[in-house]
Amino acid sequence: MTLPQTTPEDLNERAAIDRSARYPVMFFFTSAAAWLFFATVMGLVSSIKLRVPGLWDACPFLGYGRLFPVHCNALVYGWAMQAGIGVMLWLMARLTRSRFEHPVALIVCGHIWNAGVALAVFSIWVGAGRSIPLLDFPAWIWPVLAISYASIVVWVIPMFQNRRNKLFYVSELYLIGAAVWFPWIFFTANLVINKGSAPVMGAGTNAWYLSNLIYFWMAPVAIAVAYYIIPKISGRPIYSYPLAQASFWLLAVLAGWTGFSRYMGGPFPAWMSAVSGAAAIFSLLAILATVVNLMLTLRGCTKLWEYSPSLRFTMLGMLMLAVWALLSATSSTFVFGKNLQFSHFLVGMDTLAYYGFFSMTMFGAIYFIVPRVTGAEWPSATGIRTHFWFSTYGIVTMVVTMLVGGIAQGGNLAQWDQIFSASFVNASAYVVGRAIAWFLITLSNFIFLYQLALMFLGKGRKSEGPTLLHTEPGEAANAREVVGIH
Amino acid sequence: MDTPDSKNIDYQRGTVSAVDLHDAARREPSLQRGEEGRVGVTVLAISALILIFGGGHLFSTSNGFGSSIYVSDHYIPEPRPDLGAGGDDAAAVAWIDRWMSDGKKVYANCVACHQATGLGVTGQFPPLVGSEWVDGGTSRLGAILLHGINGPFHVAGRSYSQLMPPWNSLGDDKIAQVLTYIRREFGSLPEGEDGVVTTEMVQAAREEFSGKANPYTEAELLAIPADAALPGAKVDLQTGEPLP
Repeated sequence: MTLPQTTPEDLNERAAIDRSARYPVMFFFTSAAAWLFFATVMGLVSSIKLRVPGLWDACPFLGYGRLFPVHCNALVYGWAMQAGIGVMLWLMARLTRSRFEHPVALIVCGHIWNAGVALAVFSIWVGAGRSIPLLDFPAWIWPVLAISYASIVVWVIPMFQNRRNKLFYVSELYLIGAAVWFPWIFFTANLVINKGSAPVMGAGTNAWYLSNLIYFWMAPVAIAVAYYIIPKISGRPIYSYPLAQASFWLLAVLAGWTGFSRYMGGPFPAWMSAVSGAAAIFSLLAILATVVNLMLTLRGCTKLWEYSPSLRFTMLGMLMLAVWALLSATSSTFVFGKNLQFSHFLVGMDTLAYYGFFSMTMFGAIYFIVPRVTGAEWPSATGIRTHFWFSTYGIVTMVVTMLVGGIAQGGNLAQWDQIFSASFVNASAYVVGRAIAWFLITLSNFIFLYQLALMFLGKGRKSEGPTLLHTEPGEAANAREVVGIH
Repeated sequence: MDTPDSKNIDYQRGTVSAVDLHDAARREPSLQRGEEGRVGVTVLAISALILIFGGGHLFSTSNGFGSSIYVSDHYIPEPRPDLGAGGDDAAAVAWIDRWMSDGKKVYANCVACHQATGLGVTGQFPPLVGSEWVDGGTSRLGAILLHGINGPFHVAGRSYSQLMPPWNSLGDDKIAQVLTYIRREFGSLPEGEDGVVTTEMVQAAREEFSGKANPYTEAELLAIPADAALPGAKVDLQTGEPLP
């Protein structure tokens, strides 16, 4: 079965939606990509600092304790969330067939978000950070982020109310989930941490927030993208639509319990981390069902992967989601977790989620969306290929060295009659892998930022055919045509 | 405008018509509600496995969902032969040495606060070395270990405000070993006192303090006489057999 071709009226409507989306969506993407480049440079510098601790000792701004949170916050709030918001708005407009009625308002709110992120990063950098992962910034900044998020995402409501599409597609379900879950977890985490709870509860809540930022925001946005892009590119409808809906509700019911297992053995009742570990295992049902469903949708036309950049990035991102969910379930159990917590393993896992899974899917979406909203094609297929391979090699290097290094470091930490720093010194060789990985990823994102900036400035390639990863078949109308699927 | 390049619409300049639509919008199909394909037996089997593992983990590690159990049985580090002891011929080693080295392993649970040196962290976690609670009778010490203690309390002339969680989820042997270890390693014991706590004594302590629901406060502990020792026979340090 294939999806039907579009009528001329629909095409006009589609083009009108894309045109109305151009400036806000491009604003979010370009500023996100700029934050991403900054974040990857910080990742590189902080890894070098971690490997050679004596370097730049005189300068407090180049201490690992500041560089690493600066890197994490810029990566998540500057890049990941901003790119996700851009994708969310465009997808919602397309799925409900609503135009962007107030693009200027969106751009203004987007500036407030960027200002909030800049304030957060700056205050951490000058030493006002609080060492609460991803909520490091001073307490007065979180309302800025919360209000600007709300004032951007609230525009989804009029789109939804004025919907002109009879089909309530499964991606919309995931997008609405993500849109409302983030305020919930962000408010809860900040209220519990800032409003005088016991410190132990603050740490536990922070762990819950970190986990659910992935399960309840990044995962649904990325899955919405995958359920949209994969049928669009392959021309095939979703293999099992009921399964796609069911996995949403499974995710909604199960994932909110995860998180506490990050601090298993900590001074809260043992059942809390036991329940979190079990929830991480049960959440595999939702994640694996989604990835299997997507792969079955693509069954028989995997050759598309060789040509379509969007499909390649999206599918790799979804596979990395499955890997992340599996590792996260494993390391949430006491058997494995007790020797992995507080080690490099955690850094590897977080980077796998933020970059390997979420960013890769967002790249897929951006490679799909930008030609449509700017009316031009990506300048260089070589650039996209380089971006893909450098990013892939980078993230694989990172994850493998950090996971193996984490196991080594965790084993060392278990030797309780040895001083703590010995575990770090012994595992510091693995940090070289992390530095190399960030170097590769930084290079790849320089190319990405450059290409995106050209598109932003209207200097894209004017062409009849899309920019495919391989160009031998000449100017094909789409990747399906190249591989002979109609 | 008539070169193939101009097929791309210039959004900045003007209107769009279906004729000069940008190609990107044209090349995608319309979305539909998907199919209702079936997933295979493999997927169902994997789902069943996930449910079994998740449920197994939940019920084996949650320790009955008790709100006062802080450390799951499965979290306690396993004995590591590479850290010494365990590999020796058990018969050749005196009972007290094995009891102490097992106690040292159980003490791994305590090092985060009390440190491997037993000196604690000044102002935050109380020391065991020079602590009147360790040096005194075993009743108070047993009570603290079984049910925890909540601040403020005083150790060696300083006030501490932390909560020490109860450790009654540990087995009787482990509690006896760790009590022996801290008393012999960190305590300064009166003349003629060997500092050994036996499993029998811990069983007696569990019975004696069984009604306690919350961690002790300092006042409650002070109600137990300072030199009260847990009832139980003394043992031969060489063999571990009760002395007549």
